[in-house]
Amino acid sequence: MITSFLFKALDRRAIWVVSALIALAILVPASNLMLPFDSAFHVSNFTISLIGKYLTYALLALALDLVWGYCGILSLGHGAFFALGGYAMGMYLMRQIGSRGVYGDPILPDFMVFLNWKELPWFWLGFDQFWFAALMIVLVPGALAFVFGWFAFRSRVTGVYLSIITQAMTYALLLAFFRNEMGFGGNNGLTDFKDILGYDIQSDTTRAVLFAASALALAASFLICSGIVRSKFGKVLVAVRDAESRSRFIGYRVENVKLFVFVVSAMMAGIAGALYVPQVGIINPGEFAPANSIEVVIWTAVGGRGTLIGPIIGAVLVNAGKSVFTAAFPEFWLFALGALFVATTLFLPKGVVGSFSSAMTWLRLRTGKSDAPVAEPTVRAAE
Amino acid sequence: MQHLIRFLIALLIVPLLLTSVSAQTDPRSLINAMAVGNLKARAAQIEALAATGDAKAVPALQALSDGALYFRKSDKQVFIAQKSGKNFDLIDPLTAENIGSFPKGSVSKVKVNNSLRRLIRSVIGTLTLLSPDPQIRIAAAQTIFKTGDPESLEALDRALVQEKASNVRSAMELARASVILKSDSTDADKIAAITLIQKGDGREGLPLLNEFAAQSDGAVAAAANKAIGEIEKTIALLDIGQTVWYGISLGSVLLLAAIGLAVTFGVMGVINMAHGEMVMLGAYTTYVVQEIIRTGYPGLFDYSLALALPLAFLVSGSCGFVMERTIIRFLYGRPLETLLATWGVSLILQQTIRTIFGSTNKEVGNPTWMSGAYELGGLTLTANRLWIVVFALFVFAALFVVLKKTGFGLQMRAVTQNRKMASSMGIRTPWVDALTFALGSGIAGIAGVALSQIANVSPNLGQNYIIDSFMVVVFGGVGNLWGTLIGALTLGVANKFLEPFAGAVLAKILILVFIILFIQKRPRGLFALKGRAVEA
Amino acid sequence: MTILKNTARSIGFAALVAGMMTTTLANAADTIKVGILHSLSGTMAISETTLKDAMLMLIEEQNKKGGLLGQQLEAVVVDPASDWPLFAEKARELLDVHKVAAVFGNWTSVSRKSVLPVFAELNGILFYPVQYEGEESQRNVFYTGAAPNQQAIPAVDYLLANEEVERWVLAGTDYVYPRTTNKILEAYLKSKGVADEDIMINYTPFGHSDWQTIVSDIKAFGSEGKKTAVVSTINGDANVPFYKELGNQGISATDIPVVAFSVGEEELAGLDTEPLVGHLAAWNYFQSVDTEENATFIETWKAFTGDENRVTNDPMEAHYIGFNMWVKAVEKAGTTDVDTVIDEIVGVAVPNLSGGYSAMMPNHHITKPVLIGEIQADGQFEIVERTNGLVAGDAWSDYLPDSAKLISDWRKPLSCGNFNVETSTCGGKGS
Repeated sequence: MITSFLFKALDRRAIWVVSALIALAILVPASNLMLPFDSAFHVSNFTISLIGKYLTYALLALALDLVWGYCGILSLGHGAFFALGGYAMGMYLMRQIGSRGVYGDPILPDFMVFLNWKELPWFWLGFDQFWFAALMIVLVPGALAFVFGWFAFRSRVTGVYLSIITQAMTYALLLAFFRNEMGFGGNNGLTDFKDILGYDIQSDTTRAVLFAASALALAASFLICSGIVRSKFGKVLVAVRDAESRSRFIGYRVENVKLFVFVVSAMMAGIAGALYVPQVGIINPGEFAPANSIEVVIWTAVGGRGTLIGPIIGAVLVNAGKSVFTAAFPEFWLFALGALFVATTLFLPKGVVGSFSSAMTWLRLRTGKSDAPVAEPTVRAAE
Repeated sequence: MQHLIRFLIALLIVPLLLTSVSAQTDPRSLINAMAVGNLKARAAQIEALAATGDAKAVPALQALSDGALYFRKSDKQVFIAQKSGKNFDLIDPLTAENIGSFPKGSVSKVKVNNSLRRLIRSVIGTLTLLSPDPQIRIAAAQTIFKTGDPESLEALDRALVQEKASNVRSAMELARASVILKSDSTDADKIAAITLIQKGDGREGLPLLNEFAAQSDGAVAAAANKAIGEIEKTIALLDIGQTVWYGISLGSVLLLAAIGLAVTFGVMGVINMAHGEMVMLGAYTTYVVQEIIRTGYPGLFDYSLALALPLAFLVSGSCGFVMERTIIRFLYGRPLETLLATWGVSLILQQTIRTIFGSTNKEVGNPTWMSGAYELGGLTLTANRLWIVVFALFVFAALFVVLKKTGFGLQMRAVTQNRKMASSMGIRTPWVDALTFALGSGIAGIAGVALSQIANVSPNLGQNYIIDSFMVVVFGGVGNLWGTLIGALTLGVANKFLEPFAGAVLAKILILVFIILFIQKRPRGLFALKGRAVEA
Repeated sequence: MTILKNTARSIGFAALVAGMMTTTLANAADTIKVGILHSLSGTMAISETTLKDAMLMLIEEQNKKGGLLGQQLEAVVVDPASDWPLFAEKARELLDVHKVAAVFGNWTSVSRKSVLPVFAELNGILFYPVQYEGEESQRNVFYTGAAPNQQAIPAVDYLLANEEVERWVLAGTDYVYPRTTNKILEAYLKSKGVADEDIMINYTPFGHSDWQTIVSDIKAFGSEGKKTAVVSTINGDANVPFYKELGNQGISATDIPVVAFSVGEEELAGLDTEPLVGHLAAWNYFQSVDTEENATFIETWKAFTGDENRVTNDPMEAHYIGFNMWVKAVEKAGTTDVDTVIDEIVGVAVPNLSGGYSAMMPNHHITKPVLIGEIQADGQFEIVERTNGLVAGDAWSDYLPDSAKLISDWRKPLSCGNFNVETSTCGGKGS
């Protein structure tokens, strides 16, 4: 009874979120392209690129929430999957430059030319094809997550140990990508992109399309996540989160459950990265920084983990705050950000969304409008 | 080479000197001559001063090398200048008589550069061989050993005749051997010199022998090459020892960085992302202490670290105490959420420090006893690293004693192992929690004092150590102090052994991969706590 | 602002409110906005905060002189937080939202690369004040820091001539500036007859703090009988532990001198320089330069910051030159219009702080003198050498095979940043 009610609510909420995202995908680009500049509803280029970026962050946070909020795997290395997806996209965009680079070399990207590379390294082959790059965007993060998860979950590395080794993973990748010998452009990363699928990457239309693609990707991922979470498998996920040993004793292959969801999440993070890169115009090893991954965790926590809408709201909220504060109070914005994190953990342990729905439930109980007794949402500290 | 250059310079300058300086041979006028002329001319001026063979010229030359030689603009008289407030005290270079204080603008510095400093070093070497102080005589001999100036052979021989102290003698004999190699002595003499150098300080002698072997041929070259081979064999052995030492020293830095975390994270289970900032606070405390000492009590500078230690412990410790009371205590049982809150705290602390002290690096000086290096059977142990190793082990031991041998330690362990039971036994658990967290933070502060000696003191200091600290604690096993010690040293030594082959970056990557794989094998670190408690 | 204004109008806000909005708009139009894009937090804050302060000072001074074109200048400060994609976002905000006339900013190469497409797309002006690896010339960017030929090559020449160095250690942080500079230096040294085995190249990660192994390697490399020097392109943070280790292992400047391209007065302020006396640095400006302009500049700076001990450094001078060039070009053009200013600024010459004039070249780099200084015990540099006359910044190095054939000239009719003289084509135009 209770669960079916919860499902209904989730269902309704999912439909609402997906339609809102689709509306966003259509309306914002349309207003950017079609409305005149001085119209009240015109969305400026600056705003569209900003929101586009937030949407990819939201997708990343959603991916993290799937493993953390529902399966209790706190990954401090999700930035790595995001960055790998971004690099795959970046490599495609680099190959698209062709002979328009500053040195005019038809094959080699500029950074290889001035470091005296003579031929393209093997791992750059194939990236001139979009389908190949698109495949790599999901396969590379997926494969890394698979290998990593295969070992980690089988060895029953859990809790804080798992978090720290995911951090070690992204830190190792950070150092590796910083090395110029790796052939990924070192510290500068990949930049100076010209076009994507033949369209000028700086044109307003392309930007609008990328925005729409980000919104749609987020909507699709939301549906997938919501599907996973609401299925029987989703219940197993939550069971693993709340009582791993008990689930194992009942007969579930806990490591397979975790592995599956970890790989799916990594692929989603990869897609987020791939959409992020053409919108910001650069991908560099800084994206692997452990601090970035921790920030993703924070977005999710602020929004409310264990809810699907939470991470989306958290990512947008924190990043919008960052954008505003870094311009409004350049010297003091870190105080505001730090205080936000402390306050969220202390006063909104379930995040904005969790606290909001608790408050709504409480209100409904008070006013007696509810037709069924509602239990507290069972979001417990996942360890 | 040196000889040749000097000859060439002399050749160029001599005609010039003949007109102006040749008549003057008294040191005072030669010193005064340095008020004019460019850097190239100065070489000849130094030569001329050295040619007097008068040890009284040494203070002036030394001052020139130290950049303390100034001339008075009014009369072009050259003096040694000592800063006193905004003015300079001018001191006569020959009589050491203080002739009074002059404003900055009225004097001008006699310029000097590296090649002149080298020249001065070699001429001072010759001039001070007969100094009454044996330390100066040894230094002079070592300088000659390095420069191998053939012109000092005579002076060396003269000095050797009357030298009594055996350690000075052996230094002089080594110097003599080095000079012989560069002179046109007989082959037999040279071979004897080679043997002497080989027996002496191998590493220092290597450049001499290499240079010599490249320039000569026949039996002497063969002897030199053989000696080089022998020395390199010894060095290869020493290098392993040196690498182990580097590893231990890196390990002790890791240990220092991680040991406070071993308490807050390891024992209490708080994922303390603000740990690095506690270290940073300790480093800034050191900076403030040194600033106060510099301005008020310059004599106490060598004790600055000793003074900073308790203060750093107090500053970081009370900061930790406040943090526990206001934030952490609401989060027990939700360890992953402590990560978020402490991350927020770390941002605030960083920005606070940035607002107060600015974002640039602050200068924290090394006390004299932490500068320089010790030689130990061919190994070079730099003083600051040596003290840090000692200090890290001391902190470890002290913490160990506190945890295992004191009543507070007992209560602390009781609370962390079984809070409810401890509480029922009458232990004031909230109080113990707060003090434990303060202890961990305070130790991080102490570590900051030590790390300020080798690292940048900037608001980012903590960020640079936080990841490594977590790796060490997790690798060693959460909740086990021995694990932290062994973990830190293992990672340090392994890193240093990898570095020569893989390079600094790859070595670090390999270490990280190793940790990831190791955790698969032992999911709870090197020394895992056994029993049911860890599952809770 | 426009959105707000129109919303206000369309909804029909009270006349009073609308009036207030228009007044603020009118006020805003009275000033010329100048964007400052330097990190105030994160890893680069350590270097960039000073440049933000320097820019605020220059703007304040200009306003005291009556502003520009009869209008006051208004600084718009944002914090890109050492986060490279955030640089692009903030650049877009400065140009698109705040409509600044010019931006002064960036330190790291990667942050500059990150904002390039934004400046090209929105047609802004960026003044970049830091020494960098070259290999770039953009229409919208003016490079007031040193190109490799304005720093690295004169420094090596000095060591060859005055210290008779025969063996070289090229030590750097592993990123594009050291990589490129070392490539150029390697080619240059080989052209001077230095053998392969006499060059040791070493790269370390950012913020490297444990220098024991590398310093002892350098010591061993230098103990083979030939005079050895280290050319250091080690970046900011890693320098302090590097120099401390040098001092502790007893390597003095008389034995193995280190010449650095990223160590200035600001970096030395965090160090006890006593053991470092005699090590070298090559820059286009030192605080110790003895000129009237410099004395005034230092005095203003100390008064502005209210701190007697604040030092000045080379990138600050680059901003000083860049800002004055921009002011002069705007005065010449009579407008802050970007295209006009870009055309007018080439050829503009303004006094630099080291006693002379710096001119903007057609390749958007400037002419500067090169100074070699030795570190003194007081944290300042003593200038031991300065080039005869000015050196023009070379965007495309002559010592790299692929770049040697490129030239840059943004004057009409060529208007190209990377013109290939072999094929007579302009590559990747407009980027």
